[in-house]
Amino acid sequence: MADELTPDELLDKIDYGTDSGNWLDTTKSVQIRPGMYCYAAKPESVETLSLPNARSWNPTEEDWKLPDNWQQIIHEGIKERLERFRTFKIFMDVCVRCGACADKCHFFLGTGDPKNMPVLRAELLRSIYRNDFTTAGKILQNIPGGQRLGGNRPLTLDALKEMWYYFFQCTECRRCSVFCPYGIDTAEITIMARELFNLLGLNIDWIATPVSNCYTTGNHLGIQPHAFKDMLEFFVEDIEDITGVDCTPNFQKKGADILFITPSGDVFADPGTYTCQGYLILFQYLKEKYGLDVTWSTYASEGGNFGFFTSHETMKRLNAKMYYEAKRLGVKWILGGECGHMWRVIHQYMDTMNGPADFLEVPVNPITGTKFHNAASTKMVHITEFTADLIKHNKLELDKSRNANRILTFHDSCNPARGMGLLDEPRYVINNVCDNFYEMPPNTIRENTFCCGSGAGLNAGENMELRMAGALPRATALKHVHEKYGVNTLGTICAIDRAALSTLCEYWVPEVEVAGIHELVGNALILPGEKERTEDLRMEPLPGCEEEE
Amino acid sequence: MTLKKTLARNHDMLLKKWFRATIETYPPQAARILGKDADRFDNPVGSVTRETLEQVLHLLASDYTGETLEKALDPVIRIRAVQAFSAAEAVSFIFFLKKIGETVMDAAHAREFDRMVDQVVLAGFNRFMKCREDIFLLKATESKRRIHAAFERAGLVKELKEEDLLGSKKS
Repeated sequence: MADELTPDELLDKIDYGTDSGNWLDTTKSVQIRPGMYCYAAKPESVETLSLPNARSWNPTEEDWKLPDNWQQIIHEGIKERLERFRTFKIFMDVCVRCGACADKCHFFLGTGDPKNMPVLRAELLRSIYRNDFTTAGKILQNIPGGQRLGGNRPLTLDALKEMWYYFFQCTECRRCSVFCPYGIDTAEITIMARELFNLLGLNIDWIATPVSNCYTTGNHLGIQPHAFKDMLEFFVEDIEDITGVDCTPNFQKKGADILFITPSGDVFADPGTYTCQGYLILFQYLKEKYGLDVTWSTYASEGGNFGFFTSHETMKRLNAKMYYEAKRLGVKWILGGECGHMWRVIHQYMDTMNGPADFLEVPVNPITGTKFHNAASTKMVHITEFTADLIKHNKLELDKSRNANRILTFHDSCNPARGMGLLDEPRYVINNVCDNFYEMPPNTIRENTFCCGSGAGLNAGENMELRMAGALPRATALKHVHEKYGVNTLGTICAIDRAALSTLCEYWVPEVEVAGIHELVGNALILPGEKERTEDLRMEPLPGCEEEE
Repeated sequence: MTLKKTLARNHDMLLKKWFRATIETYPPQAARILGKDADRFDNPVGSVTRETLEQVLHLLASDYTGETLEKALDPVIRIRAVQAFSAAEAVSFIFFLKKIGETVMDAAHAREFDRMVDQVVLAGFNRFMKCREDIFLLKATESKRRIHAAFERAGLVKELKEEDLLGSKKS
């Protein structure tokens, strides 16, 4: 007992000093700083989805061209959501501001901006809630000094602008929620705030235009069906050059066993394109060896769902097309590619949003007999679960030596890791296709993984400073394994990550490149009838096949 | 005692004060957390700042060139170049060393030490510009590199080649 503090000693340790400023007052000086914000949504993209207040506007200008009754719209929007979502109501009330989340956010750690502490970011909205929806808030706002005492403030234009600025500095990664003793999911607060902004037409273009594209053409990049097909056919040519095997896929094949849907980034953006080639090789192998019939679709050509970053209704509209297509084609179940937020949508929203998908079968791997009970209702299986199952049952012939030049670490993408608990399957696949695998430090992986800093629609170009600052915690861990183990490849199972982490590496750890896990599978998998391979999917020499200088 | 010896002897005190002053360039609520001596993965800004300043102090107490200073400063400048600092604020922390140094420096060494710190500032400014150029280049070429490059390989676009676009980085 002797080493316990006495009450007096404990009191001596308390810092009675007050903060120099009151954050409630700082809304007057909110600075929308270039490099930290994304451009405003184009009116035509907002119009496509019949969302309100489509017009040109600029966040750095004084006039945001809001409807005259914007305060009433937000007030009613909050009210409606408090009644509709119990989580939102609880998260508005229950936070005790203990600060456990404060230093867990990659944006706070990277920017050093206190308003990026998840607790304070959420307080921006909670302060409005307390002011307008709680009895204490209503009483306190009429007493001098009462607002500061209660931590409430009125919904002014400055408060709105400040909320907009900071809720678009959150990637909904949910790392903070892991540390919250009350289990508050700050991502849901961001989701609600962004829904509210959309009631006033305050979306960002990097979300609104992909959503509009996806709604009209089937994918975020707005690629027409023939171009989608052209790209895959081009990959088929490349694979044939490398392996000597024709991996031509099916498109819209009625009665196929499985419909495969992946983020369009895998089809159109490097280095996801190499992962896409890995899928094609895997499907060819399964077709040749076991007669598995997989089809792609140019209609459901997007696994990602930027509707998730807009509103629940928009998310539902985009998610629905995957299931319509599965129904139309009469497949048994859906296999999904390496994607991040797509899996949070499927795992946590789809079932009550567009489900249950009872016109599909509970997914069974026809080759191994494994029943995916975790997907019993959504009927959608993650490709690393599928591939891990095939490897576990010795159904794939793999040559690890083809990845011998890769010294790998693995970035757990926030949504598959924290959103659906997909932690071990990707590692199992990696360890079966590659010999040199090193984990980053434990406080930066699995449930504790740090976000890439570009998720939830923030992977634009104009907010590069924000993205690179948010990427700092991930980069620090990556740099550590690069220096300690010579790691030269960062593996990941998310299309946004494949794009965002490549840029992260260029700025923070230029010696490391990014690869999808199925790119490595594609390299290692021995296709029936293949020629002796001398190049990997990037058309670079395989280990041992380098030309002598 | 030579200046270098003075620096070596007072290393711990100089580092402690310089680190504190540098972390206090952040808003007070943030500085409280970033100033903690936490695991480097839980507090990258704090730990990278401390390590960088320590490295610079070691260099000043031994041999250095503009290049070695710039390399040593890189980790902290690279962070400050993407945070909410103006160019002046981003490198201002180096000047703090002058005032901190005054407390241990003989008058005879004061001017020499000032000149030394000036060299660190110039190296810091060079590095800051390099980091900002990196950011602008990423902004300018990111989407071209990812999406344009894939289309280019597929023969779906015929414009500037990726390598033409990136020529400035390689030169």
